[in-house]
Amino acid sequence: MLKLSNVAVSYGSFTAIKHVNIEVAKGEIVVLLGANGAGKSTTFRSISGISKLSQGEIYFQNSPIGGRAPDKNVQAGIVQCAEGRKLFPQMTVQENLRMGAFVHRMKKAEIKHSLEKVYNLFPILKEKNHDDAGSLSGGQQQMLAIGRALMSKPKLLMLDEPSVGLAPLIVEQMFKVIEEINREGITVLLAEQNANAALSIADKGYVFENGEIVVQGTAGDLLANGEVRKAYIGV
Amino acid sequence: MDILIQQLFNGLTIGSVYSLVALGLTLVYGILHIPNFAHGALYMLGGYITLSMMTLYGVNYWFAMFVSVIVVGLMGVLLERFVFRLLREAPPLHDKIAAIGILLFLEAFAQFVWGADFHTMTSPYDQVVNIMGLTFTMQRLLIIVSAIVVMILLYLFLKKTYTGSTIIAMSQSREGASLVGININKVAMLTFMISGGLAAIASSLASPINLVFPGMGHLVILKAFVIIILGGMGSIPGAIVGGYILGFSESLGATYISNDYKDIIAFVLLVVILTVKPTGLFAKGER
Ligand SMILES: Nc1ncnc2c1ncn2[C@@H]1O[C@H](COP(=O)(O)OP(=O)(O)O)[C@@H](O)[C@H]1O
Ligand SMILES: [Mg+2]
Repeated sequence: MLKLSNVAVSYGSFTAIKHVNIEVAKGEIVVLLGANGAGKSTTFRSISGISKLSQGEIYFQNSPIGGRAPDKNVQAGIVQCAEGRKLFPQMTVQENLRMGAFVHRMKKAEIKHSLEKVYNLFPILKEKNHDDAGSLSGGQQQMLAIGRALMSKPKLLMLDEPSVGLAPLIVEQMFKVIEEINREGITVLLAEQNANAALSIADKGYVFENGEIVVQGTAGDLLANGEVRKAYIGV
Repeated sequence: MDILIQQLFNGLTIGSVYSLVALGLTLVYGILHIPNFAHGALYMLGGYITLSMMTLYGVNYWFAMFVSVIVVGLMGVLLERFVFRLLREAPPLHDKIAAIGILLFLEAFAQFVWGADFHTMTSPYDQVVNIMGLTFTMQRLLIIVSAIVVMILLYLFLKKTYTGSTIIAMSQSREGASLVGININKVAMLTFMISGGLAAIASSLASPINLVFPGMGHLVILKAFVIIILGGMGSIPGAIVGGYILGFSESLGATYISNDYKDIIAFVLLVVILTVKPTGLFAKGER
């Protein structure tokens, strides 16, 4: 479904990622692991079209999408729930969700249906319907960010460190939700530092170090890999 | 008492003009994150275009205003497309320098085309109406009513339509807007178009009671800055309320304090309000 072929991205003269090869099959959960600054978010930004490629190509459903504008990618079903959430803080929860359905803005009934689905997935959002997004707790904001991404009916959903800064109980809940989303047929690409939890729900993973992929394999392989365990799980 | 009512009415008139100008400024602030210094020049161009349409082509006031809105709106689009978009990755100082450059260029351009003279715009609405012993000129009534109608339409557009709410969304989080599939280039152009259009409406409405000349935008834009600082940068209700507060203060100040000092009132108000509430009246939360 998604294929990155020898992708590199630079910020000015600084090369943030290079030689990145990733393949994601339909229906999978694939996790990108790596410490802060390893290049996970940059990889996401390149897939979304926010950062331009300096090398390589990206294929989505077998057609090249490298260099395509972000809004076109969202229309095609590539949706990212970014680091820092990027909500609209002075809009209400419902307004944020409605903006999430921007690419389907002509289909009123469909939007209503999606809204119900998101509210079912995150009942707390329904309760906070009319509150400003900026007034929500961290966990609620993360749910809203995921909910907003779901409103655009993604085929590929990219989640950039959804568990960061959340209480352990909420983190557990978050990973359950991600599995549930995946079960509905949405392919998930997940960036995480919480390797244990991420690998436990993933099919396979890639480990980034200094902008390059250093290890890759099935979730089982990575969990069994001593170096990965030492670096990212701490046992 | 009569004087008070008369002055409140005047306050409503100039407040309406200020609000329209400040609205355009505040909308573009949401895109550029700097005040667009060139906005006063767009206001000035709006006045000249309406005036020229009426004097050169003899078209009626409303049609002249319509042409002016279109031309200045497109002018705004060009500024976005060929100046500010290219500076998007540059430091904010570059935007400011560009905006001042545009301001100077447009003023020189106006002087070149229309000369440095003061022109009067004769509106078809120079009748005087009597309501309960008070006299109002039609043009002033027209300013108030038109401004309020425009503001209501703008509000409905921003709040009730998807296209309008993209402007709000982008002002709150540009990256968030990108992530939900909004084409931020289109939104930026649309915002500049609306902003220019509002400036043209404001100057076309105000010109019959003021004068048309190359520097006509100076004081107006300075005051609009004061208004959006008062109201909270980027705040839409702030721009409207701030505009009327300033309008009322000026007209009351002109009567009860001194007409000579009315243009200073804006700045006194600025100092007072920022002392009490440094973030402005309608400051937004963290971005
Ligand atoms: N906008 C940017 N400008 C310059 N350098 C950046 C920018 N964003 C990220 N970087 C750099 O690129 C590298 C990869 O960052 P990032 O992709 O955010 O890593 P991760 O998401 O894995 O923490 C880091 O060295 C970071 O400092
Ligand atoms: Mg990151």
